Amino acid sequence: MKINKVWKSTLAMGFALTLSGAAFAEGTFRYATVGEPPSLDQHVITSDLATTIAHHMFEGLYTFNASNAPVPLLAAGDSLEDGGKTIKIDLRKDVKFHNGQAMTSADVVASLNRWGEFGSRGGLLFSNVESLTASGDHQITIKLKAPFGPWKNLMAFINGGPAIYPASVMNGATKEPLDPKEYIGTGPYQFGEWLPNRHVELVRNDAYTSAAGAADGYGGERKAEFDALRFIPVSDVGTRVSGIRAGDYDYAESIPGDLFADLDGDANVTTILNGGPIFGLAFMNSKHGPLKENFKLRRAIQTAINKTPALQVAIGPEKLWAANGSFLPKGNVWHTEAGTANFSKGDAEAAKALAKEAGYAGDPIKVMVSTNYPFHYDTAIVYTKQLAQAGFNIDLQVYDWATLIKKRAQPDQWDIFFTHHGFVPDPILISVMNDNYPGWWATPEKAALKAKFTASADPEERKKIWSDIQALIYEQVPTMKTGDVYTYNIASPKVKGLGSSTLIWPAFWNVSK
Amino acid sequence: MLAYTLRRLIAFVPTLLAASALVFLFIHLIPGDPASILLGDTATPEEIAALNQQLGFNEPIYVQYFLWLGNVLQGDFGTSVFFRQPVLSVIADGAETSIWLATMTMCWIVVIGIPIGILSATRQGTWIDQVTSGFAMLFASIPTFWLGLYLILIFAVGLGWFPTSGFPSLSDDGGLWNLRYLLLPSLTLAAPNAALIVRLVRASMLDVQREDHVRTARAKGLSPSRVAIRHVFRNALIAVAAAFGFTFAALVSEAVVTETVFSLPGIGRLVVQSILRRDYPVIQGVILIIVVLYMVINLLVDLSYARLDPRVSLK
Repeated sequence: MKINKVWKSTLAMGFALTLSGAAFAEGTFRYATVGEPPSLDQHVITSDLATTIAHHMFEGLYTFNASNAPVPLLAAGDSLEDGGKTIKIDLRKDVKFHNGQAMTSADVVASLNRWGEFGSRGGLLFSNVESLTASGDHQITIKLKAPFGPWKNLMAFINGGPAIYPASVMNGATKEPLDPKEYIGTGPYQFGEWLPNRHVELVRNDAYTSAAGAADGYGGERKAEFDALRFIPVSDVGTRVSGIRAGDYDYAESIPGDLFADLDGDANVTTILNGGPIFGLAFMNSKHGPLKENFKLRRAIQTAINKTPALQVAIGPEKLWAANGSFLPKGNVWHTEAGTANFSKGDAEAAKALAKEAGYAGDPIKVMVSTNYPFHYDTAIVYTKQLAQAGFNIDLQVYDWATLIKKRAQPDQWDIFFTHHGFVPDPILISVMNDNYPGWWATPEKAALKAKFTASADPEERKKIWSDIQALIYEQVPTMKTGDVYTYNIASPKVKGLGSSTLIWPAFWNVSK
Repeated sequence: MLAYTLRRLIAFVPTLLAASALVFLFIHLIPGDPASILLGDTATPEEIAALNQQLGFNEPIYVQYFLWLGNVLQGDFGTSVFFRQPVLSVIADGAETSIWLATMTMCWIVVIGIPIGILSATRQGTWIDQVTSGFAMLFASIPTFWLGLYLILIFAVGLGWFPTSGFPSLSDDGGLWNLRYLLLPSLTLAAPNAALIVRLVRASMLDVQREDHVRTARAKGLSPSRVAIRHVFRNALIAVAAAFGFTFAALVSEAVVTETVFSLPGIGRLVVQSILRRDYPVIQGVILIIVVLYMVINLLVDLSYARLDPRVSLK
């Protein structure tokens, strides 16, 4: 009798606890991530996972609408003076930080100064900034050395971008990422907790004041529907998929292509394509080795490769890739076919002839690739075979990603290395445009075109110059684009408001379940 | 026994020093550094070098080692480069999962492995022995990731009885009820180890069964079950106890795959992630603690010999 009572009480308690757990989960959006971000500090971190989490907390002066055009977010408006050399930005007056403090120009100036000095992408703009001042409580003035066309795109790109923090947080901040207790932003969600290996949790910012207007891309109204967003590291893809099917997660990222057909046809799962494709790049060494200044030999390598078989092997379903030579995808304002005739010739005989003309005598070409990204490795395997058929002696060196990053900084260690690039809204942000990025492409022809590209504020002129730069990339081959890859995520069908594709990173304001 | 234990504890000190120095050296010999992982693909070598300088990773290795050792002796294991939390706090969080997982796994091993091993030995050559030995061979051979995924598919996705992954702390909502998250992982981890214990118990008992004192016990007319438990199994326990000790310690490293499949926030996954990210303070702290764990378990196993077999004396 006594045992029976204990047993019944235990069952009742278990049932009650199950119910209370279920009630809690209603207000919590559970996102299964591939891992943990290195940090959430947007100024210095360019990890896409970090931005996926952080852009719910941190906001910049501008963001992108659904057409990838910059629109005000914390800014109220702007005006250009002095032929584009002076930028005046008015700030919204209704913005409050998560600590309750009102945002003023002092916070914006402190944030932009730290981003300009230490930020991952800040140097691009700030190398051209003469002064940055608060010209009112809610107005800042940026004086440029020369007109700089992409300023607003750079301000709108939050990944490695100019998130606005309180001035008190920016005091003394350097290249070292901020401590989580300093994660104070203005977004619809605020930092909750980061439990190592368990989750990063953001909680709703009840005092949030949204930008005006209807939601449009990342612009317009932002409404936090959930009590909390929980980002849970689930490194095994099988577990991420099972978790969605079992209802343990609401959203899961980075699902491999070979599961696409199965999941796309499953009524219990929603597939969401990432609208901004990532693209693989094979960088060539401009500082050392047989490829240094030997553009003909680089073109021979480019000519030998047919990109399509590698995309088929590495990615799988045709819906998830495009053998597109343009650095920005079709439909984007920066899309251009300039130079792309050389994108994927796959002509071994022509490559052999070009290599001979370039003086290639069969010396080993050191190619570095990492197994951390299976699609890099699969691509490298296919390319190695094609290059061998064209007479190239490829020394394929396989490392973990941390080792590859270390080695690629040493010019004598490699000739080609594989990486990939996230979608960017302005070509100035593509790594090959950075003279200091490993590969170190800094020819006079590039310098001249880059100077014209950044000086112009005329969209049509900038498009024309970008076409010339892309053509130059196919001529001097500092890097080879491997093709566009449309990664995809999956969600529970209960989640409403996600749309069929993301703009760049998934966003969970205006989303409910 | 007290003097023996004290001597063994003192011997821990040089072992720990040697282990810590080796770990420190090997980790720093692997190419890569925390700053390059932290700053990502767009960072230039100059930016990476500047951050490493700021984090103190540009000092000579021996300087870094002695600084770290000095701090460890004062109980400070440093701060995780990525989590920005004290290393001991990060390890403590992972340890909760690992300790519960290992404990539940050991319970399964004992509950499944020992009775089936005894059954198999006492029914040697019968169909029961053949079936249990066959299953033991099967479970010893199945890869844990495969078993884990199928348990998830059947019991979490199909039947919905258990969660697919994760493990909330017992101090969170749910309390002890959260242990249900570890049921499938502990079964996954226990399967190959229980299979080995079945085989070990069977083999040890069959060895002991051939000894004279067992024949004498049977001749005295003792019941088969009394002979099996009191005279055979007890004497077979020494080998089994040693295996349990090593199994418990090995679970920490074996659990990496299970923790990955079930997305458990345990020590195994923490150390692998930390190695991939070159989070030096966490790697050093975790490995030092694992070394201590191995040494303590070895000591306990040695002490248990004397308890199980009066003929063994510890000097």
